[in-house]
Amino acid sequence: MTTQQGSDDRPRTDSGTEAGADSGTDRGVHERAAGNALLRADEVIAGYVPGVNILNGCDFYVDDGELVGIIGPNGAGKSTLLKAIFGLIKVSSGTITLRGEDITGQKANQLVTKGVGFVPQTNNVFPSLTIEENLQMGVFQAPKKFKQSFEFVTGLFPALGDRRAQRAGSLSGGERQMVAMGRALMMEPSVLLLDEPSAGLSPALQDEVFVRTRQINRAGVSVIMVEQNARRCLQICDRGYVLDQGRNAYTASGKDLSNDPKVIELYLGTLAKA
Amino acid sequence: MRRRVAVALATMMSALVCVLGLGAGVAHAEGESIFGFLRNAKGGDLVPVEGAKITVKGPGVNETATTDDTGRWTVEVGKPGTYTVTIDQKSLPKGVTLRNPDADSLKVPVVESQDKPVLFALGKSTRVIQSKWAQAAQLSAEGLRFGLIIALAAVGLSLIFGTTGLTNFSHGELVTLGAIIAWWVSTGNLPLSLPGYGGVNFLVAAAITLAIMGLIGWANDARLWGPLRRRGTGLIAAMIVSIGLSLLLRYLLLYLFSGSSRAYPAYRGQKGVDIGPITLSPADYISMAIAIVVLMAVAYALLRTRLGKATRAVSDNPALASASGIDVDGVIRTVWIAGSMLAGLAGILLGIAQGINFQIGFQILLLMFAAVTLGGLGTAFGALVGSIVVGMFVTVSTLVIPAELKNVGALGILIIILLVRPQGILGRAERVG
Ligand SMILES: Nc1ncnc2c1ncn2[C@@H]1O[C@H](COP(=O)(O)OP(=O)(O)OP(=O)(O)O)[C@@H](O)[C@H]1O
Ligand SMILES: [Mg+2]
Repeated sequence: MTTQQGSDDRPRTDSGTEAGADSGTDRGVHERAAGNALLRADEVIAGYVPGVNILNGCDFYVDDGELVGIIGPNGAGKSTLLKAIFGLIKVSSGTITLRGEDITGQKANQLVTKGVGFVPQTNNVFPSLTIEENLQMGVFQAPKKFKQSFEFVTGLFPALGDRRAQRAGSLSGGERQMVAMGRALMMEPSVLLLDEPSAGLSPALQDEVFVRTRQINRAGVSVIMVEQNARRCLQICDRGYVLDQGRNAYTASGKDLSNDPKVIELYLGTLAKA
Repeated sequence: MRRRVAVALATMMSALVCVLGLGAGVAHAEGESIFGFLRNAKGGDLVPVEGAKITVKGPGVNETATTDDTGRWTVEVGKPGTYTVTIDQKSLPKGVTLRNPDADSLKVPVVESQDKPVLFALGKSTRVIQSKWAQAAQLSAEGLRFGLIIALAAVGLSLIFGTTGLTNFSHGELVTLGAIIAWWVSTGNLPLSLPGYGGVNFLVAAAITLAIMGLIGWANDARLWGPLRRRGTGLIAAMIVSIGLSLLLRYLLLYLFSGSSRAYPAYRGQKGVDIGPITLSPADYISMAIAIVVLMAVAYALLRTRLGKATRAVSDNPALASASGIDVDGVIRTVWIAGSMLAGLAGILLGIAQGINFQIGFQILLLMFAAVTLGGLGTAFGALVGSIVVGMFVTVSTLVIPAELKNVGALGILIIILLVRPQGILGRAERVG
């Protein structure tokens, strides 16, 4: 099933009453499906500077144990959505709830204790700290967890354990990505937000990231994954969202999305047809 | 990083020039004077000579001063010029003589706003002419002491810069506040016609002072820098605010403490203790030991403790630190409190070493900046190493260059090191790409 929003030929730019009328049906779907979701966002409006909204009424949810992918063109607001959920930017309207609790506007460090983990798209390690210290920062609020979580994370990424005393600033992009993911996993989050974890990695390493992400998800962590690598992302996702101009244009199961002719046309590109 | 260093330096230097220019205005209002202490060297001790008469002659001035029970005398000359200072040898008590009876009259130039010290040496010469090496050893010891004091202050400056990006020009006033509050508390002579008291033990006064400095640090962040940060004030704007705050505090302290120089009664005229070629007062040795212990504790805290690691994490990337569950505002608050206490301690030790006036902190501000930049901006260990280098260099260089130029020398070495190692001594070259 593919729900669409906006007119038939293009996901719409948001403006005026037309959009409001259209989104009615979409909201209905969202409302029904997101009933008791783990984490959900309703009609979120947010931006970086007052008066300029990057997110224009975004609906979104993730169920317990789900792996959800978010794709969309550059500048669509994918990273912004994650930052808004994680309390790093101010949400000017709409609500974000975690297990039914309203967490809109809570600070990132509070959300960490509530079981939300976040791996930013860029600058996602502490360069002057060692790998071990980076992971330690992940459990800053619960230092007792360190030993156990460290074993779990180094089990997932053995390279991190071997090089624990190395400064993160001297690692390659892929190694940093592992440190970043490891750090976010240290608190044993119930939901993990990943912003383009495969960016800048070789194809083999990208596969590795997707496999690891799936593995993490199977271990019981709900994952929200923003990806440019849309095809691969949709392959492993339970469900996907296509985000455009600050609102979700399409949502469906990963397979359905990657086979949807409109999505192929607009986001996956002609290569995807092959 | 290179560009950041360059930009930070350039803005810093230009801003300093403004502040220095304005600072000169303050001093001008104070008037010129000639003063001295008359002390007789007797068996290694210096005994104050009371009742000796000293005459100062010059343009529009012909005045005779008499030394008080501490041996001090002062003549307000009122304007710059060259004055003749003559000691009346007949007024000296029995058994006290000039070391060189022919040198009873000295010509001294007084420049604008200067309090010119003039000394007449009494008693037999006890001073053995020191070899260059002995002098170098003595100066190195003094340089180390000075460097350690700068380090105490500079570590806080560097931590604040690292975690908030603020180039805090009012850090020098935190140093001054430490010195002056300790003087107020220890002597019981409170400003603003607050009721005075007999004074307290110096160590108690120092502890009270550090507690007050912690409060001042807290207030700095809670009332000024925190709100500015939350409003997204730019770093340059914040730096200008800190320059304003520096001036404000300096004038306020001038008003409250007056322009004169004072000493802690507990440490006035301590007898030197020799270790090899080095002679320092017991207070100096203890100061150095305290500074070393405190700096080691700070280093340990930064490297090993949870809060220390969090501080380094916030310096690296505040947003990510927050995303890791670190309370960034809490860390910054702690840094402000600890940094202010360290600056206060530096002020107290500096006050013991060279006396207290309303701008002792401002006088070492430039050296602190040099030390922080030299060591590598934003790395606390760099600030530590940089401070010792600067303190030693400034002091030891007086062996070969005139003392008036010593601070210029520190800037010279700063420029040379940055040309060779743009990231500073301990700074890490920014990752390329
Ligand atoms: N820190 C910021 N300050 C101001 N505007 C920003 C900031 N970050 C992003 N934006 C703006 O928000 C819009 C959405 O950016 P966002 O980073 O969310 O896009 P994205 O969907 O993640 O794109 P990409 O796939 O390129 O990462 C962009 O137009 C961008 O200009
Ligand atoms: Mg992005």
